Amino acid sequence: MTTRERPAPQAARVESRKTTRAETGKKNGRSKNFEYRDNKIAYLMLTPVVGLLGVFVIWPAVYAVILSFQDWSFYKPAVNVGWRNYINVATDPLFLETITRGFKFVLMTVPTILVLAFFFASLVMSVGRKASTTLKVSIYIPTIISGVIASILFVLIYDYSGGLLNWVLAHFGVENIPWLGDPAWALPAIAVPAVWLGLGLPALIMVAAMLDIPTEYYEAASMEGANWWEKTRYITLPQMKNVSLYLIVTGFVGAIQQFELPLVMTQGGPLSSTTLPNLFIFNHFRNDINVGYSIAAALLLFVVLGTVSALIFRFINSERLVD
Amino acid sequence: MKSKTTRMRKASAFAASVVGMSMVLAACGSSTPGESAKTDGGDGSATTIEFWHRTFTPVENEWYAQVVKDFNASQSAIKVVDTEVPADTWDQKMKAAQAAGKAPDVYTYSGALVEQVDAGQFHALEGIVPQDKLDEILPSAQSISQVDGSYYAYPLLLEPQAVLFWNKDMLDAAGVDSTKAPATWDDLYAACAKIVPTLSEGQYCISPAADAVTLAWASAGQQYNAAGHLALTQDWTAPDIDNQGYRDIMGFYKELYDQGYMPKQPLGSYLEAKDYGEKKVAFKVSGSWMMSEVGSDYSDLLDVTGLGPVPTSPNGDGRTTTTAGNFMWVVDAKSDNPDAAGEFLSWVLAGDPEVLVPFFVDTQFTKSPVRQSVQDAVAKTEAAAAAPWSSVIVNDIAPDAHPGATYPWDISLAVGTAIESAMKSAQSIDDAIGTASGSIDTIIQRESLPEKAPKP
Repeated sequence: MTTRERPAPQAARVESRKTTRAETGKKNGRSKNFEYRDNKIAYLMLTPVVGLLGVFVIWPAVYAVILSFQDWSFYKPAVNVGWRNYINVATDPLFLETITRGFKFVLMTVPTILVLAFFFASLVMSVGRKASTTLKVSIYIPTIISGVIASILFVLIYDYSGGLLNWVLAHFGVENIPWLGDPAWALPAIAVPAVWLGLGLPALIMVAAMLDIPTEYYEAASMEGANWWEKTRYITLPQMKNVSLYLIVTGFVGAIQQFELPLVMTQGGPLSSTTLPNLFIFNHFRNDINVGYSIAAALLLFVVLGTVSALIFRFINSERLVD
Repeated sequence: MKSKTTRMRKASAFAASVVGMSMVLAACGSSTPGESAKTDGGDGSATTIEFWHRTFTPVENEWYAQVVKDFNASQSAIKVVDTEVPADTWDQKMKAAQAAGKAPDVYTYSGALVEQVDAGQFHALEGIVPQDKLDEILPSAQSISQVDGSYYAYPLLLEPQAVLFWNKDMLDAAGVDSTKAPATWDDLYAACAKIVPTLSEGQYCISPAADAVTLAWASAGQQYNAAGHLALTQDWTAPDIDNQGYRDIMGFYKELYDQGYMPKQPLGSYLEAKDYGEKKVAFKVSGSWMMSEVGSDYSDLLDVTGLGPVPTSPNGDGRTTTTAGNFMWVVDAKSDNPDAAGEFLSWVLAGDPEVLVPFFVDTQFTKSPVRQSVQDAVAKTEAAAAAPWSSVIVNDIAPDAHPGATYPWDISLAVGTAIESAMKSAQSIDDAIGTASGSIDTIIQRESLPEKAPKP
């Protein structure tokens, strides 16, 4: 089955619903006004939400865009500087490095989470009810642990002198490694707790997605002599395409915006090797007298995230991939 | 009709609930922190002043609470509301208050003033603090609290940001003279060469600043010592780090790192005594404040701890190796009641020395007062006689401490990054200097620094 075949029954159902509603209206002889008589109360009920959205989302976003074109230090009148803040950010090699580093961090974490979550979900599907419940609870526990607590735990594990990891490695003759002190190791060292914290939810979503796949497909495949890999390749993975798309996009956005792990574990060091985009912006917000630079950086990051998310949607939904 | 009535009732109930919720939200908003009020709302005559200070050590926090209480009890015209803000949330909380125009009237501040004064953040103290009180500030503290000849802050203290501590027992065990600090880098290398063979697994010779952020501010004194200046030319038009002095200081840290004298990953924060207190290092570089932590948390080490100036570069020419850390009190430029704020500030920091004595005694004499009358009063206390390190800090290290960088933080950070980069051999010393120079040039252009350079 391909997704191109799916819209047909959906469209038919929508059409049928419209027809039924129209027929019912005619049957009851009710006017168009009657049909929309609840509009006023609906708008009234929506007003608070729209108001709150306007006050807390729309206006701040608009105001942020305005401020990004100004130099404003809270004490003197703001001065319009045109595109200067954006130019400063876009030409700042440190900002560009944080974006590149953010993508590296995504590559370290998101594929790992997806693969591990898939294998975990497969394991859950293959064991009994009691065992699957235990597995699901245990995989979800890290998700509800505070990121700050996890950061502190891993700082202790990575401790250079006396840390658990170096203690274990010492038994194999490996000398102490400065996991959080060496620029080469620091980002992967932070990626590990990110995977640990981020694994639970995707794993449970994948379990749910696997439960949703009709068993008939697997029975038919078994009758045709398909092995596990063939069933996975031709049934499970295609059936989980939408779930995978969701997990990739949310995983990407979540990973590139990771903030608390580097903040607590390394403060962005050593040598900025763990300064991810949000931490970079946060540091500028804390240290700069004027807020224009950090707001411009945040808006540029917003553009980057939006563009990449759109590309992911575009790529995974493309006909080329479906075919 | 019935259904219409029901809908109207529902709509009315909904509208009432929205109005009710709005009132609740409005009520919640009335206690915005930092909001300055004209009166205290009680008898309507007292002026309310908001005062924010960071969370420091317990004894310091107690002192802050006590002086506010004592000031409020001493008169009835001004009521000071004290808010203790956790240090790690200070920046965010202050930015939010400033953005809303509700910054506190008086607050603590540490660091250079130039940028903030240029941005109009602080109220000049002339006019709200009596001139004779300002004149009492010792010369060593004047430069950190003035911009272009005007006072914008009143210092509470000076504290050297880089002091060498050592464990006398560990030095004695290695046959190293434990009565005085190694004078030069070469002396320190020689001491470490003797100490390292006596150490157990997990112990190191020295724990200095080791990351870019800490090196950015903690090494400023050493930069001055090695190069005779800091990282910018005097007119702030160009970086001034491509010279032998900066190469030397990078070489110094690289030597400590490569020889294994320091750990490859910090064992504890520069600000804290943890690694020293756990006897993981023989030498520790930290601020003078560390001594009070040794006294309170590692009292068994108090008698065997020596302290002195950080070793000097061979080309140091007698220049200091530390900067003068400070905590000052400032009055916000948007304060509704600057006169009352100035009165409170004067009463605490510039009035009776006995108000300040408990602060310096309870912090174990690890900080230096900025008024001679306070220094004398502190020195007269009985406890001072039992704290021999007090004279080292106040007389030997603090007086000639460099006031520190006044240029933007990003420049200090570029230098700190260059030192860490060279130390860890991520770049050669020349490349690290080249990268930092490029970054500093960018900052100079971006911030139009030549226009903001201090007047000679």
